This record gives sequence, C-alpha cells and structure tokens, in this order.
Amino acid sequence: MAEHAWILAAVPGIAFIVMAAFGRNLPRQGDWLAVLCATSIFALFFAVLANFLNLGDGAWPVLNSIEWTAIGDFKLNMGIAVDPITIVMLAVITTVALMVNIFSVGYMKGEPRYWWYFAVLQLFVASMLMLVLADNLLLLYVAWELVGLSSFLLIGHYWERRSAVEAAKKAFITTRVGDVGLLIGIILFWEATGTFNILEITHYVEEGAIGDTRLFVTMMFILLGAMGKSAQLPFHVWLPDAMEGPTPVSALIHAATMVVAGVYLVARMLPVFEAAGALDVVLVIGLLTALFSGVVAFAQTDIKKVLAYSTVSQLGFMFVALGAGYASAGMFHLFTHAFFKALLFLGAGSVIIGTHHHQEMGQLGGLWRKMPITAATFLIGSLALAGLFPLAGFWSKDEILHAVEGQGSFFFLLISIAAIMTAFYTARLFVRTFLGKPQDEEVASHTRETGAVMTLPLVFLAFMSIVAGFFIFHDFGSAFGFPGGFSEFVFLHYPSVFHVDWGLVGLSTALFVIGTFGGAWFYWNGRLDRSTVMAEWQPKVYEMVQRKFYFDDLYQFLIDRVVLGFSYLVSWFDRFAVNDTGVDGSATLTDYTGFLLKHLQTGRVPNYAMAIAAGVVALTLISLAVGS
Amino acid sequence: MVPMENYLVLSGIIFSLGVYGVLARRNAVLVLMSVELMLNAVSLNFVAFSAYLDPDKATGIIFAVFVIAVAAAEVGLALAIVIRLFRNRSTANVDEAATMRW
Amino acid sequence: MTTEVLWWIFAVAIVAVSAGVVFARTVIHSAIFLILSLAGVGAMYLFLTIEFIALVQFLIYGGAVTVLILLALMLTRMAASGEPEPTTGVQAPFGALVVLGLMVTLIGVAVSTAWPGDLGENAVAVSIEHIGEQMFQNFGAPFMITAALLLVAFIGAIVIARQEDED
Repeated sequence: MAEHAWILAAVPGIAFIVMAAFGRNLPRQGDWLAVLCATSIFALFFAVLANFLNLGDGAWPVLNSIEWTAIGDFKLNMGIAVDPITIVMLAVITTVALMVNIFSVGYMKGEPRYWWYFAVLQLFVASMLMLVLADNLLLLYVAWELVGLSSFLLIGHYWERRSAVEAAKKAFITTRVGDVGLLIGIILFWEATGTFNILEITHYVEEGAIGDTRLFVTMMFILLGAMGKSAQLPFHVWLPDAMEGPTPVSALIHAATMVVAGVYLVARMLPVFEAAGALDVVLVIGLLTALFSGVVAFAQTDIKKVLAYSTVSQLGFMFVALGAGYASAGMFHLFTHAFFKALLFLGAGSVIIGTHHHQEMGQLGGLWRKMPITAATFLIGSLALAGLFPLAGFWSKDEILHAVEGQGSFFFLLISIAAIMTAFYTARLFVRTFLGKPQDEEVASHTRETGAVMTLPLVFLAFMSIVAGFFIFHDFGSAFGFPGGFSEFVFLHYPSVFHVDWGLVGLSTALFVIGTFGGAWFYWNGRLDRSTVMAEWQPKVYEMVQRKFYFDDLYQFLIDRVVLGFSYLVSWFDRFAVNDTGVDGSATLTDYTGFLLKHLQTGRVPNYAMAIAAGVVALTLISLAVGS
Repeated sequence: MVPMENYLVLSGIIFSLGVYGVLARRNAVLVLMSVELMLNAVSLNFVAFSAYLDPDKATGIIFAVFVIAVAAAEVGLALAIVIRLFRNRSTANVDEAATMRW
Repeated sequence: MTTEVLWWIFAVAIVAVSAGVVFARTVIHSAIFLILSLAGVGAMYLFLTIEFIALVQFLIYGGAVTVLILLALMLTRMAASGEPEPTTGVQAPFGALVVLGLMVTLIGVAVSTAWPGDLGENAVAVSIEHIGEQMFQNFGAPFMITAALLLVAFIGAIVIARQEDED
C-alpha cells in the first residue's frame, strides 16, 4: 500500500473534477462528497501507515516511479517517495483536511459558491498530498504551484469584496517571487546533476558533485521558494492578508499545511542545506521572523490577524529548529503546531459564526458563558500554543529550545524571548475574546454556541493538541507500532531517544508563566488601560508595531515608484513604438498604398485586357533578352 | 512550295489584329469577333506546326479540333452574356460596363 | 508555282479581311469580313492538305458561329438601326502600340527560330483516318470532357440569356 500512496492524492483530485463539473447540481451541492473524500483519504492514510511500518526501516524510503517522458538520453521519471517525513506530513494533511471539511459544512452554510468552495478544497488537498509525496523537484514544483493556485482561489472566495481580491492577488504575487527562486534553484540543480530526483540530488551533493559556491547559491534560491511559501521575513506580508479567505481555509492552508510546505522542503533537503553551509541563513531568518511577528501580534486587534502573525512566528520557530540542524525538532513542531493552530483557527471560525461575523477583539469578550465548548477547546489550543506542560506545544517547543542550545547563548536568549512573546499574545487573545465582560452588548446578545458539526472537529483537535506531543516519547511511539518516539522516527543523521531534560522543562515552564501571566495581567477583565499606558509611553514604537514595521508601506512604495514607473516606461514603448509605429504603422501604410493604387482599378475590361497584352509583350521581350 | 515560316507569320499578323480589336473596339460583339480571329490564328499555328514538324502524331491538328469546339462553347456563353448585358443596360458597349471597381 | 501564287493571294486577302474585321465602321461589316477571314483560314488548311480541319472550319465557324454572331447582333439591335459604330475606345492608340510590339515579336520569333525536325518546304498530307485513330486512341478522355463542356456551356448560355418570367 505504501508504494501506492499516490492514491491518496488521486482521490481528492478526482473529487475535485467531479465537484467542479457537477457540484452545483449535486444534492446539498456535494458537501457530503467532500466529507466522504476527506474521510476516505483519512482511512487510506492509516492503510499506508500500517504498511509502511510493516515494511520496516530497511525498506525506507518506499519508492515507486514511472518513466514519464524521454527525450533522447534524458529520461524524466515521475514518482513518489514515502519516508518518515512524508508520513508525518500525510498524517497532518489528512487529519486536518478531514476536520476542516466537516467544520466547513457548518461554517460555509448558506455562503455563495458553496460547491465551488468544497471543490477547490479538494484540489488543494490533492495538490498538497502530491507535493509531499513527490520524489522529484519537478513534480514538487508543479504541486507547489497548484497549492498556490488553490490558496489564491480560496483567499479570493468572496471576490465581491475588494479586500479579498487584493489579498488573493497579494498572496499569489508575493509567493510567486519566492517560487521563481525555487524554479531557478531546481534548474540549477538539474544543470549540475542532470536529475530532478531529490534522493539522487542529495546523493550527488554528499559526494561533492557541486562546487561550494554554486551549491550555496542554488540553496539560496531553493530557500527563497521555501521562505515565500512559509511566509518568512521579508515575504511574510501575504499571510496576514490571506485571512480574508473563509476561516476553515485559514486553518487548513494558512496554518496547518500549505504554509509549512517551505518547512517541509527545507527539512527534505536538510542534508543539502547542511552541505552547502546554508543552515545559519535558515536559522537567522527563522529567528528574525519569530521575533518580528511575535511583536507585531501584540498590536493586532482582529483575532484572525493575531493568529496569522502567530503562525508566521511559529513557522519562524520551525525554521530555527531546521537551521540548528534538527530536522526532527522542526518537523515535530510542524506536527503539533498543525493541530493546535488548526484548532485555534477553527475556534476563531466558530466565534465568527457564533457572533454573526464579528472578529474584532474590541467587540468581543465574555464569550466564555455563551460558547462554552468553543471557549474550552480554544483554551486548550491557546495553552498548547503558549507551551503549557504537558500539552503538545510544550514538547515541540522544548525540542526547539534543546536544538538551539548548541547554537550559543545569544540565539538561545532570543528564541526564549520569542517563546515568551508567544505566550503573551496568546494570553491576550484568549483573555480579551473569552473572558471579562462583553465589550459590545449588541454583539453579545445574539451570540450562541455553534452546532455539533463545528464543535466536534474542535473537540477532536483539542484532543490531538493534548496528546500529539507524547509522540516524542519512545514508549508512546512504540505502542502505536512506530520504531520509537518522534525523533527516532524522523531523523537526519542518527535517531535520538528523547529524555526529559528537567532543567529545560523548568525554563520552558518559566517562559510560559512569564508570558501568560504578563499577558493576562495586562488585559484581565477586558481592561486596556495598562496597554494604553504602554502605547502612550512610546507612541512612535507603538505605531511602528501597529503598522507592522512598515513592511507593507515599503512594498507599496516600491511598487508605486519603481515597478509602476518602470511599467509606465514599458507601456509608453509599447504604445508608441510597438503599437503606433509597428502595428498601426503597417496598417496605415497598407491603407494608404491601397488608396493610391485603387485608381488603377477602372472596372473597364479593355483596360485589363490592355494590361495583359502589354504584360505578355513585355515578359516575352524580357525572356528573349535574358535568354540570348 | 510554301515554307512553314509563312504560315507562322500569317498567323502572327491575324493574332495581332485580333488583339487590336479586343483592345480598341467598344462594341462587345465586335470584341468577341476579334477573339475569334485570335483563336483562328492560334489554330492555324498549331496545324502548321503539326503538318510540318510532326505529322505522325498529329497532335496539333487534334488540338485545333478542340480549340474549335471550345471556341464554339465560348461564343455561345459570351453572346448570352452580351445579350443579358444589353437587356439590363441597353448598351453593348464594354466601356460602360464599368461597375466592377472600387 | 501556281500553288505559291495562289497562297500569296489568299494570304494577302486574309490579312486584308482580318483588318476589315477590326477596322470596319459598322458591326455588320465586321461580321461579313469575319466570315471571309474564317473561310480564308479554312483555305489555308487546304493548302496544308488537311481537309478534315478545313471542313470543320467551314462547317462550325463559317456556319454555326457566324450565325450565332449575326443573331446576337440582331438581338442587340445595333445592326437594325444601322447607326455607325460610335468610335474606338480611348485607349486605341496605346493598343496599337502594344499590338505593333506584339506583331514584331511574333514575326521575329517565327522567322529567327530554327524549328527542330523541320521537314523543309513540304507539308505532309495527314489523312482523316490517321487523325481519327490518334483522336480516339490517345485523346479519348479530353474528347468526352469536351462534349460535357459543350453541354454545360449551352445550358449555361440558355439560363443566362432567357427572358425572366416575372417581367
């Protein structure tokens, strides 16, 4: 079964085609088909997993490829490679996809283009699975663009709203900048090694087939693609805006799966990054992103925006782990983060539905009484994100701290600060949304808990947020048939058995306590005076944070002045040189020539006969003259 | 006896006269008659070639037969057109049938 | 010797009547000159001792085609009114120039070219039997196609020329 894991991607692919073609006409617009599809790939995943574990680590990675095309000596193979990293990704994607599909049935009820939403969701799942299954960079790139396309379509789902259109465009174009880098990197690899296959490339690189400088440059291009997809500084700008899409989409695409594609890619190629000496770059970018977006999250008032910046920050944590050379730590945080961040986003979706589309923290507050299930699950997700012992986020953050320990105390200090900020803004989010008094009686009066179709996924994900972290333990993993704990399953050089480092646990808990209680103290009971004091104490700093360190303004300025200026020049050239002179010019010339020559057409037959006769005589004389 | 060149020269003169008629005259029927002159010249040319250069195959002679047959068809059609022209525009003057232009 | 003299008389006469066709002032005169010219060319075929073509010439051209032309002249009422042919077209001088060039070219080519396989001054008699054999052995398909062409042409002529019913 593991070698036929491509079926996982084929099922939603077919579902997409069916739903895109007939979805509108199906009963209930085909949402049952989407849920059925998600359930079946969820079940199929376990078949794959069982088979994969049965085969044993001697058979890993499980490969299966076919010759796709051959041009002369060059053969292009397309296929799948299933290794532990892929398995982790499959687990995340299938689980979250199932939850999101079920949740969407409730969330999207009565929304426009209901069928199309579910169709594109299946397209996304299909391409995301294709992305993680691909054994070569070319297929990966195709899937990479397809997930970008589905993301674009889903962000712009409410295209009647201008902001949604702008956000979709922004996401598409920003990631495209990175994607071009990825494509260049892939081409450079192909030129150097003659293959797209990731395993072969890794093999070549380990043999030293590519020169140092060249390898470094290539990896920078690959990293560019990863940064674009995973919203790392300075490409992070698209992700917060992507919150214009329906909230379940944010949970699936912009928290749990697509945005971690960059992390996945780096983890996949970590040996190559290591050989290229590019790990430090990854580390620094991740650290900057984690700190930067942690700070920006303080000043956001839209609950989805807070979560979005939190996602960017957590992606930064993953990059930090990878940059420290710990594939297992990065992947483990990816794994746990997917569950609790999907939970938080779906919780936010539940709040939005429960309050009839209010998502500004200033209008919420006190939802604890009205929406108990949502609040309870959201609390679990928040605590997991903040890193409460022994929830999922705690263990993965612990792993990252452990990984960074070896990188020097400076980096360790910074990542600790980022961890405190995580706890702080999470506490702020929870306290202001669910605790205290309702800020807006109007909103509070018609708030009620959402239905089971939405709360059940929350409960399941809350459960996962509690237990997913335990996979790090040897005994827990073994109980499920894994070779051991997470880092004994996913590893780069050698498996490592996890042992609880109580000193680190203590530190980690301290970070959690500082952050959480700081955040709670600031905002308890919905009071804003303490934060207002902070904001007024340094208004310049506050404005800078609120405006996201002027990244968007800088980009806007660059687009307005540089890009548009240049395109004005190009359009001028197009209008005058190409259009007026080249295209219209030839037409005008033809027209004028015709105007002159039309007078030769008298319509009198004798004139034509005359021309023929004169022509015959002339031609005969010429041919005689030439012939003699 | 008469050499072949005599026939060729004679045929050339008749042909040229026919061409002049086509170019210069205005009456459509007369233009047609000039065309007949040209066809005749051509036939004479073919037959002369055939008789002097290649009597065994007689290709030129047979060609002349076809020319006469096709000329008959052509005259029939062309006169029908002239009659129709005359009926529509009350003239058989080719200079006045000048609507086929810009 | 007698033949040569006769040939020259005929040749001059043909040129004269052909000139008459294109230069005559009235169309009816042109038509009569055309009949003479066609008959003259028929006589030329007799000089070439190819009687079959001469007969075809007399019958089809001298008979059928001329009758058609005369009929057309009557139907277009040019002859009936007897009014003089208005003038030649405006391009007549240029036409004359072109035709002069054409004539010189043709005569020059005819005289100066060394014709391959020239049998000298003797035209060889070609019998009707020989022509018939050649025609039906080697030119069967063109013969039949010509028959079809004639049929189509005459049907077309009828369709074009007939009076409309609605008038």
